[in-house]
Amino acid sequence: MTNERVTAQILAQFPQLEKDPSPVKDYPTLRLPDAASLLPVISHLKDSLGFSYLDMVTAVDWKGPVDPAGYVREERAHPFQAKPAAAAAAKPLPGAPYRDAFTLVYALSRFANPLKIFLKLDVPREQPRAASLARIFRTADWQEREVFDLFGIFFDGHPDLRRILTLESLQGHPLRKDYAHAEDRFDR
Amino acid sequence: MSETEKTPSSSAAKSAALLPEPVFTEGPWVLLPHRAWPTEMWASPWKLPRYRRGAMMLAGLLLLGTGAALLIGEIAPWADMLHARLMLAMATFGLPPPAVMCVWGALQIALLIGIFILAPVVIVWWERKISAHIQSRFGPMRTGGFHGWLQTAADGLKLLLKENITPQHADSWVHRLAPAVALVPALVAFAPVSFGQELSAADIDIGTLYIFAMTGVSVLGIMMAGWASANKYSLLGGLRSAAQLVSYELPRTFAVVPVLMFAGSLNLSQIVAAQQGYWGEGYGFALLPRWFIFYPVVGQLSFIIFLIASIAETNRTPFDIPEAESELVSGFHTEYSGIKFSLFFMAEYGAMLLSCLLMASFFLGGGSAPLPFLRFIPSWAWFLSKAVVLVFCFLWFRWTFPRMRVDRLMDFCWKFLLPWSFANIAFAGLYLLL
Amino acid sequence: MNTAPAPSRSELKTDQLFVNLGPQHPSTHGVLRVGLTIEGEIIVKAEPDIGYLHRGIEKLCETRSYGQCIVLSDRLDYCSAMTNNLAFCLAAEKLLGVHAPQRADALRVAMCELQRIASHLILLGTYGIDIGAFTPFLYAFREREMVMDLFEMVSGARLTYNYIRIGGVRADVDAQWVARTREFLEYFKPRLDEYDTLLSYNPIFIDRTRGVGVISAEKAADYGLSGPNLRASGPAYDARRAEPHCGYEKYPFDVITAESGDCWDRYHCRVREMRQSVRILEAVLDGLPGGEILAKVPKIVKPAPGESYAHVEGARGDLGVYLVSDGGPNPFRAHVRAPSFLNLSILQEIFLGQRMADAIAILGSLDIVLGEVDR
Repeated sequence: MTNERVTAQILAQFPQLEKDPSPVKDYPTLRLPDAASLLPVISHLKDSLGFSYLDMVTAVDWKGPVDPAGYVREERAHPFQAKPAAAAAAKPLPGAPYRDAFTLVYALSRFANPLKIFLKLDVPREQPRAASLARIFRTADWQEREVFDLFGIFFDGHPDLRRILTLESLQGHPLRKDYAHAEDRFDR
Repeated sequence: MSETEKTPSSSAAKSAALLPEPVFTEGPWVLLPHRAWPTEMWASPWKLPRYRRGAMMLAGLLLLGTGAALLIGEIAPWADMLHARLMLAMATFGLPPPAVMCVWGALQIALLIGIFILAPVVIVWWERKISAHIQSRFGPMRTGGFHGWLQTAADGLKLLLKENITPQHADSWVHRLAPAVALVPALVAFAPVSFGQELSAADIDIGTLYIFAMTGVSVLGIMMAGWASANKYSLLGGLRSAAQLVSYELPRTFAVVPVLMFAGSLNLSQIVAAQQGYWGEGYGFALLPRWFIFYPVVGQLSFIIFLIASIAETNRTPFDIPEAESELVSGFHTEYSGIKFSLFFMAEYGAMLLSCLLMASFFLGGGSAPLPFLRFIPSWAWFLSKAVVLVFCFLWFRWTFPRMRVDRLMDFCWKFLLPWSFANIAFAGLYLLL
Repeated sequence: MNTAPAPSRSELKTDQLFVNLGPQHPSTHGVLRVGLTIEGEIIVKAEPDIGYLHRGIEKLCETRSYGQCIVLSDRLDYCSAMTNNLAFCLAAEKLLGVHAPQRADALRVAMCELQRIASHLILLGTYGIDIGAFTPFLYAFREREMVMDLFEMVSGARLTYNYIRIGGVRADVDAQWVARTREFLEYFKPRLDEYDTLLSYNPIFIDRTRGVGVISAEKAADYGLSGPNLRASGPAYDARRAEPHCGYEKYPFDVITAESGDCWDRYHCRVREMRQSVRILEAVLDGLPGGEILAKVPKIVKPAPGESYAHVEGARGDLGVYLVSDGGPNPFRAHVRAPSFLNLSILQEIFLGQRMADAIAILGSLDIVLGEVDR
């Protein structure tokens, strides 16, 4: 079954979905309109269409270019190099699709007639929440913990949502574009 | 060949000019230093001159050893003369015969302690060389010049000078006594082993029983070490070790019972004496020596069971769960440093040497030569060389086999070795009947 | 750290011990801490604690150019650096819309297969040590030295190569390198038989690993396992066959699978994969095309706004890189789909009911590298 046929099948089943305007190159990408449609679509993909393998759960913060002033300190510059121009606060680029939201990206795969499909869901930056896939795919357990750790997106229904990669005592969510490091006991 | 982007330092280099621009050339990025490409080296080590030199040295060493043995063999009868003269001298001085026996006994004990101290030193060096060569490397090469023969002495000196740490929460007296309790029984158990005629420190009639009793006492030292270290891992290691040692004592003892049945005595010298002579002598040619290992089925089975049980008794791989580094970080001797640690080591290698000497006495005929025309080599040289071959097997097995899991180890002992040792006794009885 | 005791299995009032496996331990293959609650010898609760090696590579990528990010990608799975480079470069090339020339593709395949051999040799050696056999470790590293010599000849480095670049590879190989690689392959093939004799079919080794840590095919797919961990349980999913890249469809090789999914199967799949890598390498060296090794790529890489995902079959599993570009010189978002991270998550379930010695065997058979787990 080719990409187009599978995409057409899914769109027929869930008419509120749409093809993503900026798809992941060479892969069929669908955009979910709201958070409530996540679980039904994923369940349908897993049970009926045979996408039994969840490859990846990740998020993208679309607020703007990253602001290194929050976490890069200048006094550690190399002694033999000229002082770097004040940690180049990046200028927003024209033509870049910045918006005030996170995008959750899911990648699902199929073993028979190998195919990979991407799903995207926009989540607002204030109080970001989404449904957890941990009951459907057990691999989502740790991946959602990582997204929570690095972005702060809360997953409803997750069995044990806590930080996984960073310290439990860390404040803030590092991969957000406006992350500013709060001084802690390791900063002496 | 185009670059993907400018090197980031190019603009800085123009202004600072601290480092020269690197010059990129076509072709291989780095020229290897001139040395043998490993495929030639490892495909056949004989192509390397150092291997050939090593082989020649070994051959020379063996010849030298044989020559020395011949030489000393000529001197050995003088030991009897020395004994007689000593007796005479002491009698003329008016000392009673018991005093002479004390002096001669003291000499024998000194010999024993000397062997017990020297053995681990030599065996540890040998183990490091064997393990190195099995693993395609060299082992100690520098300490003392010739292939690092002084390495163990240097390590012993280092351990002697190290600080003796006693953990704060440990039971300090138990902690201090444990190495001694592990070591002394192993030393004392050497007493009945006869190194040749008149050369056993205590030629007692219950020699075998005495040896097994003493090696059983050293289990207590290991348990004391595990308990007194106030460390979860050491405790686990000590308990596992105690269970393993106590379990494997049974097949070991039962494997020796057929030997006792054939020899008719527990005295080690008499067991050795029962293995003198050769089969086929009545017909003019000597075919096989009358060693217990050559007795059909019974001898081989006993030997194998005793060998495996001895490896388990001395905590060697494949039975070294108590010392399993990758699981319990050194087990019961984790918290020991300095001289106490080296005492545990000496106990382990001493017990290993004792097991090999016992195997040589029980199964390989002690000092008897395999064929009649080889009798010019003195008996104690034969005895030691048989023990040394068995020590080599112990060391070889350690670096070849993986480790058995604890419960499989216990299964192996109780469900396999022990029933076979009972069956072996039955076979021996059958043999004696027929 | 959760110290509440898990419910006991028997009615006897037994005590539960909380033991830390790691982070400093000879067997945890890096800085990993697993909090074990054990009852006697059986594990009743296992909690992996990762993040000791978290360096924030994904955040670092956002302030560095694409070329600089390739250097960072080396340090992800440091035992298998060529495949990390390749995944990142494929994703960046998809964004740019360039294809590497044929010679570069063939060299990429050759380097990745050599890297797979080197990485599986590490597993062979260290797994032997975990089980207690000390000697295969040195034999495996003796062979690995030769592979690292080959890598040093082309890239100048032994562990983090920075060799595969956007648009191709950095430097060309000459006839001497090809000759030495062929010599190495001829020397290596009988060594694989030696490893089988020494370790794989050793009764004690089989006793320690057969039937231990069985993972069913459904559980493996559910937990997102990939690579030899998944294939040892049944599904024949290999990224080199599912979505061939760099010309893998031209080279003959078998996808190695097994049925029972226990530790021995996972270990032996890797040994057999080394043989397949040798096959691929011989095919590549026989048919190495001529031509350029680097396509025409702009000096400052600034792809148009878009997203891409590229995945390769790394030594540990299915390594994927998800790149988002906003039109600037730095990636807007770089996410690494790390196979070891997902392989490790099965630990909290697979450890339950196992003995401690078996736990070490299972952990070793998953073949994780903490650089990739923590990024």
